[in-house]
Amino acid sequence: MQELAKQIESAVQAVQKRWDCTPRVGLILGSGLAGLADAMCVEEVIQYSEITCLPQVTSLGHNGQLLCGMLAGCKTVTMQGRFHIYEGYSPQQATLSVRLLKALGVDVLLVTNAAGGINPSYQVGDVMLIHDQINLSFRNPLVGINDESLGPRFPDMSEPYDLKFEKLAIRIARQQNFVLHRGVYIALLGPTYETRAEYRMARQIGGDAVGMSTVPEVIVARHAGLRVLGLSAITNVGTPDHLTPTTGHQVLEAASKALPKLNSIFQGVLQTL
Amino acid sequence: MLDLYDKIEEATAAIRAQWSETPHAGIILGTGLGGLVEKIENRVMIDYEDVPHFACATATSHRGRLVCGSLQGLPVIAMEGRIHQYEGYPLKQITLPVRVMRALGAELLIVTHAVGGMNPLYQAGDVMIIDDQINLMGDNPLVGINDDRLGVRFPDMSAPYTPELIEVGLEIARRNNFIAHRGVVVAVTGPCLETRAEYRFLRAIGADVVGMSTVPEVIVAVHSEMRVFGLSVITDMCLPDALKPAVVEEIVAVANSAEPKLCALVEGVLEHEALKMAAD
Repeated sequence: MQELAKQIESAVQAVQKRWDCTPRVGLILGSGLAGLADAMCVEEVIQYSEITCLPQVTSLGHNGQLLCGMLAGCKTVTMQGRFHIYEGYSPQQATLSVRLLKALGVDVLLVTNAAGGINPSYQVGDVMLIHDQINLSFRNPLVGINDESLGPRFPDMSEPYDLKFEKLAIRIARQQNFVLHRGVYIALLGPTYETRAEYRMARQIGGDAVGMSTVPEVIVARHAGLRVLGLSAITNVGTPDHLTPTTGHQVLEAASKALPKLNSIFQGVLQTL
Repeated sequence: MLDLYDKIEEATAAIRAQWSETPHAGIILGTGLGGLVEKIENRVMIDYEDVPHFACATATSHRGRLVCGSLQGLPVIAMEGRIHQYEGYPLKQITLPVRVMRALGAELLIVTHAVGGMNPLYQAGDVMIIDDQINLMGDNPLVGINDDRLGVRFPDMSAPYTPELIEVGLEIARRNNFIAHRGVVVAVTGPCLETRAEYRFLRAIGADVVGMSTVPEVIVAVHSEMRVFGLSVITDMCLPDALKPAVVEEIVAVANSAEPKLCALVEGVLEHEALKMAAD
């Protein structure tokens, strides 16, 4: 774990060499949600390949660069492209980006993803505010010797997503007149999409949406003491009794429909900071 | 990761050197179900140790050889003895034989395994045609960089077991006058059998039977765009409120006794395939 601290330090130096500001906000963009960065006034673009300790992005719809600049009046660093455990990274590698954001000075993490809705009242293109999460990825990024300088051995997870942000987001959605669900996100390992039986299981144990990301990042964010706002774009609905095949490209298309809603929530929340 | 492709090629070449036919189906035989091998004609046997990159089967009653030949007039390649996650092998290695079957030309995978029955309507010795699966093994054979030559990054799993063949299997059971259930299998790592609390949990999440195999192989088969027919043989009943200790010898004995039903289903499905090919 000492090694992790060194990796973070070297990543911070790589970023600060190019962009010497202290960001307040970190934003992680999910599949098909790269367009959220369009609202940013970008001052510097740093390729992941320039930050030697970050892994390479291999998945569909992910670019792999860091955007530094202003978003809704806040200094922001955006991770365009994320690392998934199904790509073969260790959970520590996959969450190194969150450690980097924290070390750069971020105290608010905005995290987004494309998720399959399993709550029958959800529709494709809806947005779900992540109220809570279930880790079914069988991995935890905090396994190993704990580095006390990064966070406590046993982080409390009673409120992984900040309730003040939640209230704000709900108010914004109401003002803007769009549906915002509040639900529980389940992270599975992937990369296979869920079987019908797995959808039923996920629903049975209390999930509203399923995906293959976010949960490890939020675990690390809480370990590091960040306040988190998480939004899922519902890109397909997993109705186990009438399941139709899902493709990566459909997911990307549906994500773009949810984009404006995600955008207005972030704008609204950041303006209060 | 991308060296998987080369491993498949090397293993495929080693098998081709000994058996030149193009299999229509690959068959994986589970615990105590090796007897189906006797039905295969013009057999060519290849030990796993003679195939590069194949792992050796260490589990009870798993022999560890490939049986190539013909069944119902169709060329098949059968694995007598499978490799499990609980033996310590990574899922990529466990599922390599499926990749190799596909590379040899097999378009259909028939998987069989012994399971514990949790649905109270099932009985030891019954056969279940697998309708769907839940992966609780904590891993996935497709984790890692995806090799697009082998399949897509995010395989759809809405119907991992070919619906047409499920119907064919149920029809065969009716015709032969035995019970075949249709249900959901959950795969766990093992090797310990489940506690009563774990059985309750697995039942509550929607599974009818529980086993320690098959799910990874089927994920890879779907990734390889193979059609799949899966059979679970219920070798003991796992009812949490009337649980008896499991005895491996008994499990193997029950699996053996269910064999005629299993043979009827596998042969019947292959007969259906042969007829369909003749009609095309």
